[in-house]
Amino acid sequence: MTDTSILSKTDYHTSEQAERLLKKRYRSEARFIFYGRLAIICALLILVTLLSSIFLQGYTSFYQHMAILEFDLKQELVDPQNTGDPEVIAKADYRTIVNNMLREKFPDVTVRRDRKALKDIISSGSDLFVRSAVMADLSLVGTRATIAVPLSDDADSVFKGFIDRTLPEDERRVKDNQLGWLDQLSEEGRIESRFNMTFFQVGDSREPELAGIWGAVVGSALTLVVTLLISFPLGVATAIYLEEFAPKNRWTDLIEVNINNLAAVPSIVFGLLGLAVFLNFFGLPRSAPLVGGLVLALMTLPTIIIASRASLKAVPPSIREGGLGVGASHVQTVFHHVLPLAMPGMMTGTIIGMAQALGETAPLLMIGMVAFIVDVPTGITSPATVLPVQIFIWADSPERAFVAKTGGAIMVLLSFLVIMNLIAVMLRRRFERRW
Amino acid sequence: MEMKFTTKNVNVYYGDAQAINNVSLDIPDRAVMAMIGPSGCGKSTYLRCLNRMNDTIPIARVDGDIRLDGHDIHSEIDVVHLRARVGMVFQKPNPFPKSIFDNIAYGPKLHGIATKKSDLEAIVEESLQKAGLWNEVKDRLGSPGTGLSGGQQQRLCIARAIAVSPEVILMDEPCSALDPIATAKIEELIDELRQNYCIAIVTHSMQQAARVSQRTAFFHLGDLVESGPTTEIFTNPKDQRTQDYITGRFG
Repeated sequence: MTDTSILSKTDYHTSEQAERLLKKRYRSEARFIFYGRLAIICALLILVTLLSSIFLQGYTSFYQHMAILEFDLKQELVDPQNTGDPEVIAKADYRTIVNNMLREKFPDVTVRRDRKALKDIISSGSDLFVRSAVMADLSLVGTRATIAVPLSDDADSVFKGFIDRTLPEDERRVKDNQLGWLDQLSEEGRIESRFNMTFFQVGDSREPELAGIWGAVVGSALTLVVTLLISFPLGVATAIYLEEFAPKNRWTDLIEVNINNLAAVPSIVFGLLGLAVFLNFFGLPRSAPLVGGLVLALMTLPTIIIASRASLKAVPPSIREGGLGVGASHVQTVFHHVLPLAMPGMMTGTIIGMAQALGETAPLLMIGMVAFIVDVPTGITSPATVLPVQIFIWADSPERAFVAKTGGAIMVLLSFLVIMNLIAVMLRRRFERRW
Repeated sequence: MEMKFTTKNVNVYYGDAQAINNVSLDIPDRAVMAMIGPSGCGKSTYLRCLNRMNDTIPIARVDGDIRLDGHDIHSEIDVVHLRARVGMVFQKPNPFPKSIFDNIAYGPKLHGIATKKSDLEAIVEESLQKAGLWNEVKDRLGSPGTGLSGGQQQRLCIARAIAVSPEVILMDEPCSALDPIATAKIEELIDELRQNYCIAIVTHSMQQAARVSQRTAFFHLGDLVESGPTTEIFTNPKDQRTQDYITGRFG
C-alpha cells in the first residue's frame, strides 16, 4: 500500500516529468511578461500618436504673424480739442486711422473691391491694437507711430504655410492681389512672427486671430472653485457620517447603493437636472460659473464620497481604539486621529474628481455655457464658458485657424490636468504617514 | 483585598454567537489580575467589557452587571469618563502618528488635566518615567512615536495610558508582538505599576501570568473555569480543564 502511494515517490522532483513541467511554467511566465510589455508599448504608441497629433495641429496657435506698420495718429482724429484726456483718446476713431494707413501705404489700390481685399489682409481688430498702443503711451498722439497689428487669419495662414500658392486663384482663400501685398510687406521686413500673447489674454472672438483662451480659463477656474467649495465639504462630511457614525441598516445600505449608482450616471443627465432645477426652478443665471459649478459638484460628489469612505476605511482600527482608549469621545477620535490619516486619500480623490469636472462638457452645454462669450468673466454669475466647451466651440468652427486654436486649447487643458494630477501625487507623498 | 471591579453574570454576544457565558469575576485593586486561556476563549472579550470597548463593534451585545467601585459602568458612569478612568493597552502597539510628546500630552489636554505647557511637560516626563521610557526618549520628544522600536512603542502606549491618571489599566496581550527582552521590560514595569493601579492583563503565556500576577482567571470556551490566587491556580487547580491547560495538554 505505501509503496504504491503517490506521495512515496520521493524522486519525483528530479524526474524528467517534473523538469518538463518546470520549463513549461517558466515559458508561460516569460510569455505573460512579454504580453504585458507589448500592451504597454501599444499604450505608449497610442498616447504618443494622440499627443503628437494634438501638438502638430495646435502648435501654430501659439505664434502669430504681425504687420509692423506706420500709423499717422493725427491730432484732429485722435484728440481734436487737445485735451490729453485718456477718455477722449480712448473714444477716437481708430478705424479711420487704420484705413488712412492702408490708403497711404498702398496708394495705387483704388477700386472699391480691391480696397476691401486689402483691408482683409490685416485683422479687423487692428484698430483695437492701435488704440491700446496709444493708450499705453499718450505721447504718441499727433505723431507717426510704428505699431504692430495682427494679420488676418487667412493672411497669417499664408506665412504659416497653410495656403497652397499653386492652386488656381478661385480655389484659394487668399487671392493673387492679397498675396502680392503680403509679399511686398514681407520684403520690406514688416511681417514678424511673434508669440501669440493675445491667445492667453482675451476671450473668444469670431476672428481667429483675435480669439483667446483666457476667458475659458477664468471660466473654468471660477466653475471649479464653486465645485470644490460645494463638493469637498459636503462629500467629506457625508463620508465621515456614513462611515463612522451612521447605523448599519437598510436605509444606509440604500443610500450607499444610490451613491454608487450616482457615480455611474451619464453626465448629461446632471446637466438636464441643472437645467430643470437651478435654471428653471430657482431661476439662477444662465451660462454662469455658479450653475456650472453646482452641476459639476453634483457630478463630483459621488466620486469624493466613495474615495473618502475608502480612505477612512483604510485607517487601521487600532488608531480608533487608541483614541477611544485614552478617553476621547467618538467625534474626537474621528477628527483628531482618523481624519488626519484619511486626508491624503480624500484629497487625492477630490483632485481626481476635480480633474474629471475640469474636462466635463456635456452637462455644461445643457445650462447654456456653450454660448459665444467674448468677455472674460468677472464673477461667478457673469456669463462664461469653460475650457472643454471652448474646445468644442472652436472644433465646430470652419476657419482653418480655429483648427489650430482647438489644438492649442486642448494643450492648455491637458497641461492643467497634468498639473492637477501632479498636485494629487505630491499631496499623497507629502501627507502620507505610516503607522 | 479590596475589589476594584465586580462583575456578575456577564454575557457577550456577537450577533447570534455567544462569546462569553455568565462570567462573574472580581478584580482586585493595586494588584495584577491575569486572564489566561486558549485562543478564542473570550478572555479579550471580557477585558474589553471593562471599559466598554465592545461598544465600538456594531454587532456586539453585552449584558450583565459590571461595577467599578460599586457603580454600574453602563448606567451610572459616562462611557468617555469610564475610558479615562480605565486605560487600555492593546495587543499591537498603536501610538498615534504624532510626536512622542503629543502622544502622551493628547489625553491630559483632552480631559483638561493640564492646559499650561509647563504642566503638560511635567505630565509627559512623569508618565514616561513611570513607563521606563524617559531615559531613552528624553532627547527626542519631538520625533514621531511610530519611529520607536516595538517594545518602546508599547511602553509609550503604557505611558499614554498612565498620563490621563487612570485607576485601572487593562492590557490585552501587551507583549505578544514583542521580543523577550522587551517583554521582560514590560513585565518589570507591570510589577511596578501595580503599586498604584489596578491592572488586568490578558496573556497567552502562562509563564507571564505566573510571573506578573497575584490572581489568575482561567477562561475556556467562553466560560470562566476558575479564578483565584495565582500560586493556587498554578500549583493546585481545582478543575481538570485548568490542570490540562497549565500542564500543556491543550491550548
